[in-house]
Amino acid sequence: MSHTLILSGVTFVYFVSFVLYLFGLINGKEFWGRAASFFAWAGLAMQTIALILRWKMSYDLGLGHVPLTNFYESMVFFAWAIIFTYLIVELLTKNKIIGVFVVPIAFLAMAYSSIAPDVSNRIEPLIPALQSNWLTIHVVTCFMGYAAFTVAFGCGLIYLLKNMEKGNTEKPSGLRGKLPALAILDTLIYQSTALGFVFLTIGIMTGSIWAHYAWGSYWSWDPKETWSLITWLIYAIMLHLRHVRGLKGKRMAILALVGFACVLFTYLGVNYLPGLHSYLKT
Amino acid sequence: MSLKKNTLWSFFSSVKLTIVLLIIIVFVFIAATFIPPHIVQAFTGQLSPGVAELFLLLRLSDLYHSFLFYLLMTILSINLIICSINRFPSLWRQYKAPNFPEPAGIFDNLPQSQIIIVGKDSSQIKQIIKSCLKKNYGSTKEVDTGKGYLFYSERCRFSLFGVYIVHLSILVIIVGAIIGSIFGLEADINIKEGESVNVANLSQYNAIHKLDFSVRCDKFIIEYYEDGTPKTYRSDLSFIKNGQVAKQGTLLVNNPLTFDNYRFYQSRYGTAPDIKAIVTYTNIGKKGGSLTLAVGDSFDLPDSNAKGSVLRMENNIMQMGPAIKLRIISPKKDIQFWVFKHIDKIKKMNSNLLTEVPMFNPGLFHPFVFSIDRMEQTYYTGLHIVRDPGVSLVALGGLLMVAGLIIVFFMAYQRFWVRLEQLGTKNIISIVGLSNRNDQQLQDKIDCLCRRIQEEIKA
Repeated sequence: MSHTLILSGVTFVYFVSFVLYLFGLINGKEFWGRAASFFAWAGLAMQTIALILRWKMSYDLGLGHVPLTNFYESMVFFAWAIIFTYLIVELLTKNKIIGVFVVPIAFLAMAYSSIAPDVSNRIEPLIPALQSNWLTIHVVTCFMGYAAFTVAFGCGLIYLLKNMEKGNTEKPSGLRGKLPALAILDTLIYQSTALGFVFLTIGIMTGSIWAHYAWGSYWSWDPKETWSLITWLIYAIMLHLRHVRGLKGKRMAILALVGFACVLFTYLGVNYLPGLHSYLKT
Repeated sequence: MSLKKNTLWSFFSSVKLTIVLLIIIVFVFIAATFIPPHIVQAFTGQLSPGVAELFLLLRLSDLYHSFLFYLLMTILSINLIICSINRFPSLWRQYKAPNFPEPAGIFDNLPQSQIIIVGKDSSQIKQIIKSCLKKNYGSTKEVDTGKGYLFYSERCRFSLFGVYIVHLSILVIIVGAIIGSIFGLEADINIKEGESVNVANLSQYNAIHKLDFSVRCDKFIIEYYEDGTPKTYRSDLSFIKNGQVAKQGTLLVNNPLTFDNYRFYQSRYGTAPDIKAIVTYTNIGKKGGSLTLAVGDSFDLPDSNAKGSVLRMENNIMQMGPAIKLRIISPKKDIQFWVFKHIDKIKKMNSNLLTEVPMFNPGLFHPFVFSIDRMEQTYYTGLHIVRDPGVSLVALGGLLMVAGLIIVFFMAYQRFWVRLEQLGTKNIISIVGLSNRNDQQLQDKIDCLCRRIQEEIKA
């Protein structure tokens, strides 16, 4: 079976998983949450197989490179990393609600990568600038960071949602009791941000080392570099406020949203600005 | 401590300043990525001369190298240094804090789960506690308090300095970047195949930098994939010092070469304007020949009084491949015509071509028929040259930062005390811990230790 077919299947499976998480949130029965998790795990397994098949196929075509080299491949890996990180968080916290806000992002990434007309899913040969061992570690660390920030973003959204309902005591909504406790969400926002921050730092470092070997300069103020630094600074501000000033709750949640907007701009928006990372253009 | 009361000192030691600086830097970066340079140029053009001069002086057109950005980075560095100095004494006290006796009141109001009461021989229990602590934390210390024994173990005390390592790493990176910008150099050179060059054009200024060695490009090669995407750009280089080849190497993208503290990068390539064509001709019944020609060359055709010259030479004209335009002058004629390399293919596509456009006939100068054997092109390779003595510091800073962040986020200074007291025939074991962060993890560790001690006692 071709890997593209499996990947379309994965898109569908993530959608089903998202709908089941939504059922779980509305209906509150544990069954839906468990079913949703099952689909997310199944999707992750299928996607892992598809990525390996694509990798193998690139060798069959005589091109031989990891499936992390163009926009399509990065989008698929982004979805993979989001689900992977999320499922680990789910295992650790045993909470099946956060999926409602995280899984759909993976679904959207998968759907966009296959539907968008200007995204080519062909396995393309590697131009000389990309022929480096640093490519794999740079892309993997960056996207693991992005995925952790996505989880923080999901938690932030739930936090704000729940916080909104807290003020509204007259009409206790059905959702209110089922959302995880604010304190848990607050901890999760902090922990996933910290994890993402470490990954992003390593991602920037490895990118820097690669640039040193490829372009002759570890830092060139290319817009993507600058925006990754902006993202890094936003999360650095957030972590400092937490550590030094004890920032908690709603403000942390809002900063998680702001940070995620920066992540998205670093990943997608920057491609519309001229710069050295242009081979990521669709 | 009059120094600490100094307003300037307290200004620079505040975290509020750090946050404000970081936010301003974020906005400077956003501005720098969003405002395209040509708009800045147009804007400077409209300013009155005085303001424009100031604008130039502060180098606001290039925000990353502007006075504003340098100022922000300077304040940030001072802020970082002073914050670190200010917080060091209390951190050092924390680091050096004695473990015996335990912090006051730490054993008060312990939950039942952290107290174990057993009736066995106390010296045996003492051994069990010691071995459990040793197994979990590597080592343990004990004191005789008179009423019983107190044991102590700890992990990751050095993690107290994680934040310091991260902040130090930022300063190291900044110092490395400054060293690079002062003592470093970036330049570009183009070398034609077979030639050697010992001067480079500096990238940032309109100036020339003389190298005390020369670089020769022995060969430049481009390889393509089947679909036409470039696969390899490769320059074979020789470095010549004092008239001798001191080093030879292959330069690829992503694979720079180092010579004499300079690093060489494959950054561009191009073709030198002088193409050469290897032209062969036949002359019915007589001897043919082969010529190597460049634009402007002239040649004699044997067995005739004709003289030829090359007017034009194209690598790919009108998508029809290589072609040259010749002019042949004989006592009777003065004609011009094109010689295409792929004339057979072109004729196939348009069978009347030679009658319609006689100029495309390579046999127009009867009885000679010309053809192109091959075109020879000289490439030049474009090298980027860098000398940056700050790189190793920046790399060290990067390593320190990653190490520091891992310590900050994934390690905690945890301390554990176990008290053993005798009350009549019973031994009371109390287990307690302290951590500088992440209380959940500490609680898990204490629970684990309690379970372990209980299991060992049962066994």
